[in-house]
Amino acid sequence: MAIELVVLCLVGLGITLYAVLGGADFGAGVWEFNTALQASERERALIYRAIGPVWEANHVWLIFVIVVMFSAFPTAFAALSRALWMPLLLALVGIVFRGASYAFRSHAVAALRQQEIWGAVFALASTATPFFLGAAVGAVASGKLVVTVDGRYAGNYLTGWMTPLAIFNGFFTVGMCAYLAAVFLTREAFLQRDPELTSLWRRRALATGVWMGILALGGLTFVASDAPLLWQGFRERAWHVVAVSLVTGFLSLWALWSEHHHGAALGAAATVATVIWGWAVAQYPLLVPPAISIESAKAGEAVLKLIAWSIAGGMLLLLPALAWLFYLFKNPTESD
Amino acid sequence: MASCLSGCGFTDTTPLQVSFCRPQMTMTRLLPLGSPRVKLTASRGLLLSRPWTMHASLLLAQADPSNLLAARLQMAITLGFHIVFACFGVGIPALVLLAEGMFLRSGDEGWRTLARRWSKVFAVLFAVGAVSGTVLSFELGLLWPEFMGRFGSVIGLPFTLEGFAFFVEAIFVGIYSYGWNRLSPLAHWWSGVPIAVSGLASAWFVVTANAWMNAPQGFRLVDGAVVDVRPLTAMMNSATWAQTTHMIIAAYMVSGFVVASIYAVALLGGRTTLYHRRALTLALLPAAAFAPLQLAAGHWSAQVVSRTQPVKLAAMEGQFQTEKGAPLRIGGIPDEQQRVTRYAIEIPGGLSWLAYGDRQATVRGLDDFSPNDLPPVRVVHVAFQLMVAAGMLLLLVSLSIGWSLWRHRKIPTGRWFLTAVVACGPAAVLALEAGWTVTEVGRQPWIVQGVLRTADAVTDAPGVSWVVAATLTIYGILAIGTLVVLRLLARVPLPEAADGN
Repeated sequence: MAIELVVLCLVGLGITLYAVLGGADFGAGVWEFNTALQASERERALIYRAIGPVWEANHVWLIFVIVVMFSAFPTAFAALSRALWMPLLLALVGIVFRGASYAFRSHAVAALRQQEIWGAVFALASTATPFFLGAAVGAVASGKLVVTVDGRYAGNYLTGWMTPLAIFNGFFTVGMCAYLAAVFLTREAFLQRDPELTSLWRRRALATGVWMGILALGGLTFVASDAPLLWQGFRERAWHVVAVSLVTGFLSLWALWSEHHHGAALGAAATVATVIWGWAVAQYPLLVPPAISIESAKAGEAVLKLIAWSIAGGMLLLLPALAWLFYLFKNPTESD
Repeated sequence: MASCLSGCGFTDTTPLQVSFCRPQMTMTRLLPLGSPRVKLTASRGLLLSRPWTMHASLLLAQADPSNLLAARLQMAITLGFHIVFACFGVGIPALVLLAEGMFLRSGDEGWRTLARRWSKVFAVLFAVGAVSGTVLSFELGLLWPEFMGRFGSVIGLPFTLEGFAFFVEAIFVGIYSYGWNRLSPLAHWWSGVPIAVSGLASAWFVVTANAWMNAPQGFRLVDGAVVDVRPLTAMMNSATWAQTTHMIIAAYMVSGFVVASIYAVALLGGRTTLYHRRALTLALLPAAAFAPLQLAAGHWSAQVVSRTQPVKLAAMEGQFQTEKGAPLRIGGIPDEQQRVTRYAIEIPGGLSWLAYGDRQATVRGLDDFSPNDLPPVRVVHVAFQLMVAAGMLLLLVSLSIGWSLWRHRKIPTGRWFLTAVVACGPAAVLALEAGWTVTEVGRQPWIVQGVLRTADAVTDAPGVSWVVAATLTIYGILAIGTLVVLRLLARVPLPEAADGN
């Protein structure tokens, strides 16, 4: 495999992990947003307890994607920075408020009013951030960004990104985060031996899952009508991945139905991962369609090799640490 | 696509037929300006395209001219905000580990209480630092797309490595903060070590990238295209060691002095429990120990600047004319019209001696450089004087502690001393911000010294000044939120065990 593909696959891995792990953290906030009026304190406690130890680590996958992109594909990064000016700025506002409000709410001890305010900010920002990040991805996927091979942008900075597929994908991403969160929280509630919350989250996960399945099929029609280049990629190369996605989606729903909570979590993660890789395979070999390809945007061979090796070295440090974090806080046998 | 671009000054490039992997998908693309194809043709002497600068100027002609100032202001606000939290991210974990280490050695619960409370403060500061750092990583591209597009591969390596350091930090912040009851005391202490180490590593990596902007190397420019990129050479540039050392010491000093300053307020207000006195000592001693080292590191940095960026040194010192035996100016206000620095106390031959070790050495003045290459002298000189003045206060406090430890074997406790320590917190932050202003404003009008002008790197996106306004509001809310939450944390009553006296 060519070195630029190795690096790009690592970027894809970063996006996948951010979508699954970071997405679930956002999704927890989406649920707080949607159930703001009826949620009980116990429900909120479960959410906060679930994301507390891990959200910051999950967030770093986004940084990883950004820095590897600008190191390895600088002109593509410059083009994306220009063309996605608005959605990325809006996503940044969301990222800032989500992170800060979570920390403020958790530590605003004995100040109920402040906890309420920061809780509301957290819920709102958790919903807005995946919307704009999803819209940014959708804008790229639609192939309508007027970028040039050397990384310039000739479209409208304020509205150029608002393609139908982008808007659809914004909503789709929020829904995906909500689904992941519901499935993961079902498992968390089950691990904490709380049958009431388990069944609540299981019902929510099932309902969201069915809706997301319908929405995903609707999304394919958006791709077909709005992004002909991508649609061709789906028909020619990525249909296997879509098929796998369908199967894992059904499996996660079936596992939820029959109360296999670990299997459901795994299935939901696999479904999201295959949606992302389906997009990647369909769009190959373009990075920012239609103008920027992997070939035209890649850095020099020596740079790419160095990046690949430093990621490999970094992972040696990172993966054991990450494994320990999840072992400590997401382990089935731990339940205090 | 060519048609959508034709209105934007691109029409005079030769369109090139390029086929994608799928033959039926033939598309018209613009000539790839920075791609290997152009370099190939250019080196063969076939000039198919205008040089890239021409395109940049065509685009810039359309860009909002206020973008440059607005984008620099935006960078200044977001970086100036983040840098304080980044320093806490480097220094406070070390303080927490010291406190928990004292608990492990002595078994005294008071130390553990201190460590637990500081770790909560740190969790809040780390979260704000993490999100404001994320803003910066996006902003590099959003505000300076030309910079990242051309030099992303040159400085990407330290950012990638920093990404991993930050990752390790975030993971262990989770483990440490939520692991007080899940790990054995010793294992818990060790789970904090990676936070301190990776905080240090993050600072080092990020500052190497800034050092590269001051002393660029590790690439060649051929017809405006960046070729022959050697990221390791770029990372280990001639400003790297001096600048990273100066910054990391600054981070420890800011953390220590700010924490000490808060407890000095408490002690002056009559809260003189063992807990408060311990907290003050623990934060103050390391910070004070670093102050004399910072004097040396700062001197080293200035010497590197005199070699790599003589124009920045001249601006720092307000040296307009080239002079043999140049004086060291203390204070003073540069007059950029009359080309003279007024109201300064001058030490004859001082600057020549500090920069080159010879009181008769010649120091190049600002007038020796092209007027187009000069930074705003007043800002740089005044910022530099502020940094040095604040640093001198910190040094004075440090020396008085040293004296008292040597003569009386204890830290001074008088009101005057405590008042000085209160001032040390703001002074350390002032020195940090002023020093950062010197290095950034002193490099203007370049974003990459001598290679890429800031004006050529800035985005053409509209409404950057609106972004600045929004950022001021958001960061204002963030700053207030942080202060309010930290006050709430400080109000939590201490457990009995902490009140040992």
